[in-house]
Amino acid sequence: MEAAAAMDHHDQHESTGIDHRKLGMWVFLSSEFLFFGALITNYLLYQGQPGFARPYPAEIYDIPFTSFSSFALLMSSLTMVLAHNALARHDQHATRTWLLATAMLGSVFLGGQVFEFTEFITVGGMKLTTNPAASAFYMLTGFHGFHVLLGVLMLLTLYGISRRQGELSEASGLNLELVGLYWHFVDIIWIVIFTVVYLLASVPAGVG
Amino acid sequence: MPDGGWFGYQPNAGPFYSPGTAMDYWALGVQFLGLASLISSVNFIVTIFNMRALGMRLLRMPVFVWMSLVVALLLLFSLPIIAIALFMVTFDRQFGSLFFVAEAGGDPILWQHLFWLFGHPEVYILILPAMGIVSEVLPVYSKKPLFGYPAVVFAGAAIAFLGFGVWAHHMFASGISPVAQAAFGLSTMTIAVPTGVKIFNWMGTMWGGRIKFTTPMLFAIGFVAMFVIGGLSGVTHAVVPSDWQQTDTYYIVAHFHYVLFGGSVFGIFAGLYYWFPKMTGRLLSEKLGKLNFWTMFTGFNLTFAPMHWLGLQGMVRRTAYYPPEAGFDFWNLVATVGAFIIAAGVLIFMFNWWRSKKHGEPSGMDPWDARTVEWTTPNPTPEYNFGVAPTVTSLDDFWHKKYAEDSEGRPVRRPEAENTLTDLMETGINPPHPIHLPAPSYYPVLLAAGIPLVGWGIIYHTSFVGKLLILVGVLVVASAAFGWSMEPLEEPHDEHDDSEPSGGGYPSAEVDA
Amino acid sequence: MATHSGEHHHPTPLQYVKIAILLAVLTIIEVALFYVNEAADMGGWDAPLLIILALFKFVIVVGWYMHLRFEDSALSKFFTAGFILALILYAIVLLAFGVIALGG
Ligand SMILES: [Cu+2]
Repeated sequence: MEAAAAMDHHDQHESTGIDHRKLGMWVFLSSEFLFFGALITNYLLYQGQPGFARPYPAEIYDIPFTSFSSFALLMSSLTMVLAHNALARHDQHATRTWLLATAMLGSVFLGGQVFEFTEFITVGGMKLTTNPAASAFYMLTGFHGFHVLLGVLMLLTLYGISRRQGELSEASGLNLELVGLYWHFVDIIWIVIFTVVYLLASVPAGVG
Repeated sequence: MPDGGWFGYQPNAGPFYSPGTAMDYWALGVQFLGLASLISSVNFIVTIFNMRALGMRLLRMPVFVWMSLVVALLLLFSLPIIAIALFMVTFDRQFGSLFFVAEAGGDPILWQHLFWLFGHPEVYILILPAMGIVSEVLPVYSKKPLFGYPAVVFAGAAIAFLGFGVWAHHMFASGISPVAQAAFGLSTMTIAVPTGVKIFNWMGTMWGGRIKFTTPMLFAIGFVAMFVIGGLSGVTHAVVPSDWQQTDTYYIVAHFHYVLFGGSVFGIFAGLYYWFPKMTGRLLSEKLGKLNFWTMFTGFNLTFAPMHWLGLQGMVRRTAYYPPEAGFDFWNLVATVGAFIIAAGVLIFMFNWWRSKKHGEPSGMDPWDARTVEWTTPNPTPEYNFGVAPTVTSLDDFWHKKYAEDSEGRPVRRPEAENTLTDLMETGINPPHPIHLPAPSYYPVLLAAGIPLVGWGIIYHTSFVGKLLILVGVLVVASAAFGWSMEPLEEPHDEHDDSEPSGGGYPSAEVDA
Repeated sequence: MATHSGEHHHPTPLQYVKIAILLAVLTIIEVALFYVNEAADMGGWDAPLLIILALFKFVIVVGWYMHLRFEDSALSKFFTAGFILALILYAIVLLAFGVIALGG
């Protein structure tokens, strides 16, 4: 390309050698630790305070069910990385399959969360307005769910582009990598939430 | 009863004590501003790390760029905290959650922690850019390099780092434990060390220099002097027992105006006078500029100095009425007069700006005999910035292109300096090679327009209109995001006439490859 | 711009599957630990064990699935900085509220 040749001296370069958008994604993700950290802190502060209106979140957790949906999200990281790998091997068909699988596993997790919230509200009797611990629980898991939802939408967009164009171009390849980074990040946040909020949940002395 | 203030202390800003929608607008408005700042901070960090000119090593960057980087990092790590805190307020007010409702077991002190975890880094977000500007201005009008450049840079980074560990000094009167008070008092005092380093470096820069008292220089010196006063009164709040006396009095108001007005605002004015030629190709009037400075300087000190003693006499903040027997009247009158003088100063500035934009003296390329690379482009700066991407070989690169040193280290203007300037002007106006700017897009504007719709919807979500607004807003945001992601990143080349630069209106160095 | 330079350093699909199996096993151990602690109180040993397991999973996903161990070290520095900063700041907040205590 003539113009490109003329502009060698003025080429778009990365001083650090890292792609701009990739660096941007990692920088953004590092700030998300502070975001989820604040939510987890709220929950940890309130879950053990005595004297709240019942129930406390830990009284109504359904560990087997949450383990199942957590597992779905964990495995979606595998399908995500396989999609990325397939694209690197220029296997467009496999890329699409794994993208769709990732979006589906993400949807299973989201469906699980909708079910969990509904159960907690109707059967467990714990609403956002029941006590501060419940408020913190719904806000934390809700914001995480919102992140998953955004991820699913981005995955489906990539899938749609791939279907329409018949392939994912080099530029979309980077998009897939970025969506993947975001997706894995949302997964590691859930790894922390699953342990700290569910498995290690405690109730104040005298409750339960 | 008035609603909560900008600090949103709970439960005063909660649904019970602040009914109505005012605090909802506040919480969501700050939320959206925060989102915008967060995205910009990512942009700044990537730009500064990744798009430096050839040879522009980190320790060759102008201090202003360094401080912008540090500020972006502060924003990056502090905004998510206030985002959550504001969401909690919105949820409490709109959806009945109980985060700060003490009757139900919520803890209003949690708000103070989260607010100041953000709020203290925020004050450095306000001051560090001004420190960067002053570090650019002082060397230019002292005809000397910045004294101790690495120390100034590291001190800025240290201030930012320490700034994350001092937030509870805003909460000494809120009943936090004695250990916490001692720890946060100490950590706050340590910040005075890197700040002092900077002050000494600025003085060292001026020491022995050939100082020209231009308007930017006056504002920069004003900054240093006023900031020292504000910094010293700041140390007095780090001492816990003395802070208990000062909390919520006008002494605090005096302190933070000395750092934010005498500090940040003076720094910004120094920058406006200094870089006005880069924006317009003309100089602001020096006569009006000096009048501007001295009016603002006098008005500022008349307004805020008396607040020190008013505060120590017990004049508390956020109070509607003070009885005459309290004896606050005289100094409040002085402060009021001072405030009008500040206003006069700002009016002078506005007039100066408006007049100089059209009738100011043309600045030429290098009106200040400047030191840094931004002065190697024509004034006003073309939208593509540099006609040819510069290569940097040293700190103060532009200066070294113009000056050599004699045997005693004094600067001597190179004979070829004028030719260098003419060449730079020529390549700046007529780039030898075509420059492609990124394709402009309407989608970001559309996306941004959708966000307040969602916000209004949330505030009125119990009504039909509110629900409708949320739906419409989400739809606008989603479709704009989708359209944006579908747009090609690079403009197709054949749409260009390669013989002349394309004016996309984006002052970005990003070019198609 | 070659976005996939250095792709050859990356694990193969088979290795990815093996990593997933490891993650699955770790998760099963986590849930099992939870039930063991329910049945017979582990005297507070469940918390450190579960946190170590979670951190292990965290590091595996970040290092291999997010490729961080194959990337420029600047990225890990950024990422670790955010993580450590969040950890320290929120630990101090929880200390101030007495939710966690130094020295038991
Ligand atoms: Cu502070």
